[in-house]
Amino acid sequence: MKLSKIAMATAGASMLATSAFAAGHEMQGRDGHVGIIYWQAASILNPYLSGGTKDIEAASLVIEPLARYDQDGNMVPWLVDEIPTVENGGVAEDLTSITWKLSEGLVWSDGTPVTSADVVFTANYCMDPEGGCQQLAKFGDVTSVEALDDLTIKITFGVPKPFPYGPFVGGQTPILQAAQFEGCSGAAAPSCTDQNFGPIGTGPFVVTEFRANDTISMEANPNYRDPSKPAFATLTFKGGGDATAAARTVLETGEFDYAWNLQIAPEVLDEMESAGKGTIVSGFGTLVERIMINLTDPNPDLGDERSTVAHPHPFLSDIAVRQALSMAIDRELLTEIGYGQAGRPTCNVLPAPAIYASTANDACLVQDIAGANALLDEAGWLPGADGIREKDGVRLSILYQTSTNAVRQDFQALIKQWWSEIGVETELKNIDAGVFFGGDQSSPDTFQKLFADVEMYANNFDGTDPEAYMGNWKCSEIPSPENAWLGGNMPRYCSEAYDGLLAEMAGTADIDERARLAKAMNDMLMQEYVIIPLVDRGRVSAHANTLEGVVLNTWDSELWNVADWSRAD
Amino acid sequence: MLDGTKPLVRVDDLKMHFPIFKGVLRRRVGEVKAVDGVSFEIYEGETLGLVGESGCGKSTVGRALLRLYDITDGHIEIDGSDISTLSGEALRDMRPRMQMIFQDPQASLNPRMTVGSIIAEPLDEHTNLTRKEKREKVAKLMDAVGLARRFADRYPHEFSGGQRQRIGIARALALNPKFIVCDEPIAALDVSIQAQVVNLLEDLQQEFGLTYLFISHDLSMVRHLATRVAVMYLGKIAELAPRDALYADPKHPYTQALLSAVPHPDPAGDRQHERIILKGDVPSPANPPKGCNFCTRCPKVMEICRSETPEWREVDAGRFVACHLYN
Amino acid sequence: MLNYTIRRLIFAIPTLLFISFIIFIILDMAPNDPTGNLPLTIPPEVRQKIRESLGLDAPMYIRYLLWCNQFFINEPLNMLHQWFGWCIGDCEGRLRVESWITRSPVVDSIVERMPQTLWVVGMSYVVSILVAVPIGVISAYKQYSWFDQAGTLVSMIGFAVPTFFTGLVLQIVFSTMIPSDHWAWLPSKYNTLHEVTDWQSFVYQMRQMAMPVTVLALYNMAQLSRFMRASMLDNLSQDYVRTARAKGLRERTVVLVHVLRNSLIPVVTVIALGVPTIFGGAIITEQIFGVNGLGALLIIGIQGADIPLVQTLTFIFAVLIVLFNLIADILYGLLDPRIRYE
Repeated sequence: MKLSKIAMATAGASMLATSAFAAGHEMQGRDGHVGIIYWQAASILNPYLSGGTKDIEAASLVIEPLARYDQDGNMVPWLVDEIPTVENGGVAEDLTSITWKLSEGLVWSDGTPVTSADVVFTANYCMDPEGGCQQLAKFGDVTSVEALDDLTIKITFGVPKPFPYGPFVGGQTPILQAAQFEGCSGAAAPSCTDQNFGPIGTGPFVVTEFRANDTISMEANPNYRDPSKPAFATLTFKGGGDATAAARTVLETGEFDYAWNLQIAPEVLDEMESAGKGTIVSGFGTLVERIMINLTDPNPDLGDERSTVAHPHPFLSDIAVRQALSMAIDRELLTEIGYGQAGRPTCNVLPAPAIYASTANDACLVQDIAGANALLDEAGWLPGADGIREKDGVRLSILYQTSTNAVRQDFQALIKQWWSEIGVETELKNIDAGVFFGGDQSSPDTFQKLFADVEMYANNFDGTDPEAYMGNWKCSEIPSPENAWLGGNMPRYCSEAYDGLLAEMAGTADIDERARLAKAMNDMLMQEYVIIPLVDRGRVSAHANTLEGVVLNTWDSELWNVADWSRAD
Repeated sequence: MLDGTKPLVRVDDLKMHFPIFKGVLRRRVGEVKAVDGVSFEIYEGETLGLVGESGCGKSTVGRALLRLYDITDGHIEIDGSDISTLSGEALRDMRPRMQMIFQDPQASLNPRMTVGSIIAEPLDEHTNLTRKEKREKVAKLMDAVGLARRFADRYPHEFSGGQRQRIGIARALALNPKFIVCDEPIAALDVSIQAQVVNLLEDLQQEFGLTYLFISHDLSMVRHLATRVAVMYLGKIAELAPRDALYADPKHPYTQALLSAVPHPDPAGDRQHERIILKGDVPSPANPPKGCNFCTRCPKVMEICRSETPEWREVDAGRFVACHLYN
Repeated sequence: MLNYTIRRLIFAIPTLLFISFIIFIILDMAPNDPTGNLPLTIPPEVRQKIRESLGLDAPMYIRYLLWCNQFFINEPLNMLHQWFGWCIGDCEGRLRVESWITRSPVVDSIVERMPQTLWVVGMSYVVSILVAVPIGVISAYKQYSWFDQAGTLVSMIGFAVPTFFTGLVLQIVFSTMIPSDHWAWLPSKYNTLHEVTDWQSFVYQMRQMAMPVTVLALYNMAQLSRFMRASMLDNLSQDYVRTARAKGLRERTVVLVHVLRNSLIPVVTVIALGVPTIFGGAIITEQIFGVNGLGALLIIGIQGADIPLVQTLTFIFAVLIVLFNLIADILYGLLDPRIRYE
């Protein structure tokens, strides 16, 4: 009895406190309802079971990581008070461990406290070998995650990690509540439908109804750490349809407040914006549309050795040809046609964040057909009877593959035209994205097998640290039958110097030094012309003019600061 | 011969032209003159046979007579009423007096109605009989046409061709008509059944005092049944005569040709069995020849036939012919 | 008839099993991968682990038998448990058919999406029948009249113009050009969470259904009215119609009782055969209006190489098709006395 009286008194006091607070400031839920539309519907709210961007971003409304990236790519503490570094002692001198300390007084939406046990549980949940965790790469080299006390977590790595911010930084690896997901580890993970559809989190919203691949409805988290946030009492996360229709609901009909990732023709988008109901926002990350050159011979006659390092490419192994191919391309025009506001021409495969972006290759921004022709002439590739250059019986005839996508097919057509102007013949091929990017071993058309001379796609990296990304082009990453074609080194590029730079980066913690190494690797790839970057693709989204506080973030979930969103009066 | 009795049906210059539409806008480009000026009378209690090749317009005459078409021109008088221009309710009120038996007993019966309801339907429309009275009436009609009463709840497809035609006849009789058009009622039946149906028609004629227009291409059947016979060619009547006179002494070259093709019942008495083979095809009724309709195929064609239409005239007592040979 | 129905149902079992096997083989052979749509930032070795966790490393026949066990045994048992509370075997831990995308039971997703599918696609079907039958009847009765010509034109348009186009035009007119506070404004996105509780919410439901239903109904109506017209024309020229007229029946009776009833026989069959397509949803229209019914579910499954989802949905469609074929046959037998099944 006594205890409950005290509890009631406390509750009363806190209520008083809240109302007093509300009188001075603004209250949670004051702005009513907000509608978000994602043209790809969310299937699940557990990023560990679905790596899809839409799922990660939908989940980010509910569950949160220890730290996030802001719109400039800087890490910001989220459930902690400060980011551990070597300077503040959070990261061990030998770079093999990192120690996070949770903020005091954090509670889950069900009112129970967030403890280090939850973080440890989450790590073990993902690292369970039978779970099929899709964010496993984030936990690379982690040997143990342990709770030092209720609020302190120590993550130990098997090797020195100069960038130890893989686990629990960014929307891909939020903290799950141990109590809720207890029985869901390993093989049982998929069967926990209720948990996966309605995780308990620390975020500004809680799930009230989840309809897979359709609509999620949410309401404000009553236990959110900032009692004045979020400004919206309820939220609808509608999915489905296509990007154009999604854009229309925000920019023209005003049915929704925020539309995600509007990959539509730039002029259509501008036209919609002129209706005056909404605003287009764009931001740039590291997503680069690029052409990968195959340095090995994709000739089908080679059988099992097709596109393997055993046979160098008959003409693409000549750097002059690769350089000419790059020079012939008008990147400005491609950008304008394909992406408008959502793209900018680039000459780097590593275009951002700013400290990692090299300026050494900017000459490629200007198309130079004459220069390319001169280069090929000089290298001995002379036009034959049909205008196609050849040397020693080898014709410059290229098979150019990419995934099926209207913009990519436009690019293919333009580039084919430019290459024909320098005497290179091009055959175009497009492959369904599910096949092209799917890792089906039996299909000859995957982007890893690269049974073509060149291929085009876009890629990026999570977070802000480029080390793993640049690691794609080390010798050991070359896809081949031996490693079941798994590997990110599509050009089959192998250089001791490059691998050396990579090893050096792995042992360097100083940020400026890491930047220098990353730029050097980027320049090496660019100046060898094994990758031809085309366009740095940004993210384009739209929000209603009445929605305030949107800060487009390409380094983390777009909905990262939804707690700060509010309705303009 | 039933001379002296009054005509029940009087047809005067009946014309039935069907328009032909062609082209994108479906313009009217011409017409099929299926029946092109036909006049005759049918006396009460007699059977007028109407014969001719397929496509000559004889069925159209039958249907036009009962006003199943809106006729193009001419007059039809049945039982003293002119029905040529009636429509809607007025025409419907006339229906009980005149009925029709159709060629295809299968197609002319609604497949989704039972025999009982097919026969009873006209009663529903035109009488105020109670349900019980109607049932009794249907049963009587079925008796009259030789169908077992218990078949009333069956569907048409469960019957044989002959039985179906009996259903058609019972249905036609339901409203006690005076005049029945029999449109090739036996053409679709087995030869063995044909006689039964014809006999039934004759019996019913006796019993109910019916008047028939019997349309057929079967000259022997018409000879058996008809009082008088009209021969049609290409939308017009070529010759109309009492039965015996016509078969003994056909006047019109077309009638002669038709009859020459009929096998004689007594080969020994077949004196002049010389078949007259007609040459060429029947011209299209959309574009009939100038002058006499038959001039393109007539073995006795004359110059005048190609320019002037022969008059319809009585050449002998009760014998009408449209032919220049008899002018 | 009963014997016939039972016999047909028994024969349907091996047919359906065979169909399920064929679907499985086709899906298995399709060069698609459940990890294909994941961001490229997920490394290949993790993808390999994901595939293993989905059971993709097992041989094809094992996976097929597993699906059969889940679908034919576990799902019905689960249904008994859910509906009647009967518990046979392990009720909680039973392995159901689980989608690879949502990691949740496929059957639950289907049940969840059934209402909006039936509301929108089903209603459009009903509307199209109600509109198409009179149009077909009048068009045939007054063949080549201006009404018939107009009907032909509308049907041609409905038939030839794809639903994504009509959908877009309607959206632009009713959602964009008409201001949202105007009474004629219609929402362009269907709210699947909307519940009808009172008059006002019912009105909203009608409003949000208006456009998708119109788009779909126009398309179905075009087909059906043409079919109705053809069937009427077939029957109008039949002898029994002439008989009916000769009987002295009223023209209305002739057309509505004799002709229409007979003409409806094939049309009813076509309508019955079309019912499974309701459940199949209307993939494109659902996408445009965000109805997110079964059609949208299927397309998501196909894009994500979600074999259990696609297999289950396609199989359910197969069952419905077989079932409605049987229903169509039985209806034919009931409507047309000439047809009898032994």
